[in-house]
Amino acid sequence: MRKVLRVAEREYLATVRTKGFILGLVLAPVLFGGSALAMLLFRNQVDTRDKVIAVIDRSGLVSEAVIAAAESRNSAVVYDTLTGEKIRAPYVIELVPPDNVDPDRQRLELSNRVRSGELHAFVEIGAGVLHPREDTAVSHIKYYANSAALDDLRGWIERPINGDLRKLRLAEAGVDPTMAEDMFDWVGATPMGLVRVDPETGMIAEAGRSTEAQAIVAPLVMPMLMFLLIMLGAVPLLNAVMEEKSQRIAEVVLGSVTPFEFMLGKVVGGVGVSLTAATVYVVGGVFAIRHMGWAEYIPYHVLPWFFAYTLLAIVMLGATYAAFGSVCNDPSEAQSMMLPGMLPVMIPMFVLVPVLREPTSAFATGLSFVPFFTPMLMLIRQTVQESIPVWQPWLGMAGMILCAGFCVWAGGRVFRVAVLMQGTPPKLANIVRWALRG
Amino acid sequence: MNAVELRNVTKRFGRVTAVDDLSLDVPQGSVYGFIGPNGSGKTTTLRMIMNIYYPDSGSIRVFGDELHGACTDRIGYMPEERGLYKRMKVRDVLRFYGELKNGKDVGKEVDRWLERLDLSDWASRKVETLSKGMAQKVQFIATVVARPELAILDEPFTGLDPVNTDALREAVLELGAGGTTVIFSTHDMNVAEKMCDFIFMIFKGRKVLDGTLAAIQDQYGSDTIRIRTEDGGAALHGLDGVEKIADFGQVQELRVAPGRDPQEILSAIVSRTRVRSFELARPSLHDIFVRIAGPEAREVTDA
Repeated sequence: MRKVLRVAEREYLATVRTKGFILGLVLAPVLFGGSALAMLLFRNQVDTRDKVIAVIDRSGLVSEAVIAAAESRNSAVVYDTLTGEKIRAPYVIELVPPDNVDPDRQRLELSNRVRSGELHAFVEIGAGVLHPREDTAVSHIKYYANSAALDDLRGWIERPINGDLRKLRLAEAGVDPTMAEDMFDWVGATPMGLVRVDPETGMIAEAGRSTEAQAIVAPLVMPMLMFLLIMLGAVPLLNAVMEEKSQRIAEVVLGSVTPFEFMLGKVVGGVGVSLTAATVYVVGGVFAIRHMGWAEYIPYHVLPWFFAYTLLAIVMLGATYAAFGSVCNDPSEAQSMMLPGMLPVMIPMFVLVPVLREPTSAFATGLSFVPFFTPMLMLIRQTVQESIPVWQPWLGMAGMILCAGFCVWAGGRVFRVAVLMQGTPPKLANIVRWALRG
Repeated sequence: MNAVELRNVTKRFGRVTAVDDLSLDVPQGSVYGFIGPNGSGKTTTLRMIMNIYYPDSGSIRVFGDELHGACTDRIGYMPEERGLYKRMKVRDVLRFYGELKNGKDVGKEVDRWLERLDLSDWASRKVETLSKGMAQKVQFIATVVARPELAILDEPFTGLDPVNTDALREAVLELGAGGTTVIFSTHDMNVAEKMCDFIFMIFKGRKVLDGTLAAIQDQYGSDTIRIRTEDGGAALHGLDGVEKIADFGQVQELRVAPGRDPQEILSAIVSRTRVRSFELARPSLHDIFVRIAGPEAREVTDA
């Protein structure tokens, strides 16, 4: 064990003493914080030029309502009421008579005006939009723009059109719309947390309002941080072992320690590097967030899990990367091994959103029990959903411990065979064979 | 007592048999030279003694124990190519290697050896700033800093200038004099002849020579004429009873065919040119090496 710790100490010091590590430790939060700050600073930096929208109203019913809504909006939000400064773009509606002879040509001409920047978009309102069930072919509202799917204006223009259509339908039904204004009121559902008993007072405490920060930002920050720590502590082992192999250092060291001790020492060193960075980030992050008055968003209950998952993730992945590094002879081979090596880290990142939305779905639950995915996915599930079954994180942890043991054992076997084998290009089939047969 | 005992050791890499049924005894306290052509199995044998490679069959004992982990702390190993962390400082890397061997007073030993090999001024420099010769001396210190009872040196003198060669040779002999068993491989037959108590030659994975230099030379007898003449090698062509002529310029070595009288050959030479010196000698280790592993021998072996 003493030799393992000596190898680990060297590995740890060789990493944390580098300028790259120290700079990375400082720069990573600066970059994260800087991008958040930039978003805050530039959120009001909007284009205030007129947005001209052409409207072809084939129904002949709603164009006036659209113009009225645009004028109403422009007078309300375009200028700052205190400073008089123009802070938003006015919406200018241009009514275009429908060309019933050659509608395609009309659409092309309007599209070209959008392309040239003369128009922001154009909207085509179908002739049968008042009674869409009668003829769906002519009951559409089509919005044409360069980025129609992402355009906020598309969402805005639906409201006056549909609002006016409802009024018309009520009138047809013999109801005076002015007598039934409640029909147009919309009451949204306020997102709330769960009610709980206050541990200090023993009373039922009022549930807090659930915010987007709680729902999305907090659950995402820790997996992102874990990804960063894996990049700092585990991924460099691939290149480090490749260098030790190509520079014949491994041969000298293996004269003193067993391949298993050597690899374990390197992995323990990587764990040390990651936990150092984790401590700096978590302690610094908690301090900063509390200082900003957002302490309620810190999920303290998952922090111990975060450290445990990170530690086991580094052991699993570190052993895997060290084994991969031992089969490489030069940086280009190491680069080619990086892709399969990164998959266990990247796959959880690809499924973050569905897991975030449905943390208790069979998909999320099943994937979170795959040992390589457990660190990130189980952590997200625990952060989003405070009431996932208690046994699930423990089972995930048990799977990780078994997998970590297997990775170190198998990695050691690959390492022993491959680290002195010069000139043999890395092949996954060889790695599997050496891992199983030694 | 033997420091190292190999019994019927075989090591294969795929279809290639690198070491074939090798048995060898290295007496404790001896300086043992491993010679052999490139790719003959020297390094593989050394790595098996170091427990870096495991033999496919046979057994290896070091200081009477089967090789399993801890006994490697009693062995110092210097591989053929240098293996030093380039970004570490010289003193730090030496301490690291010494501590990996569980060495005692590693710090003092590091300073003593740095002083001994004239490297004290480089102790705080990074390894990457060292010349090749300096790095080789540092690698040697890394091998011996934990005071091993057995030092295994794979071609320790390759690439060194004469001054550094002398310094390292003296250091190796000092180790031997201090009771450390030394095994080293070399391609320099002069070094092997002058330094080694025993010489072992491996060729195509099999042992072909093993013993003291005198015993090895005795196997061949006094079949070599070493001669200097006024006309050099030109006067020696076509001599009857000579198997082979090795022309070194100023000196020529003639291998006498079995059953032929060297005096007759001398008479024939005297009739052609003036002889400045003449010596009937046993073959040099170099000559023996070439006889075993040279092109002629390879042709016979391959046939």
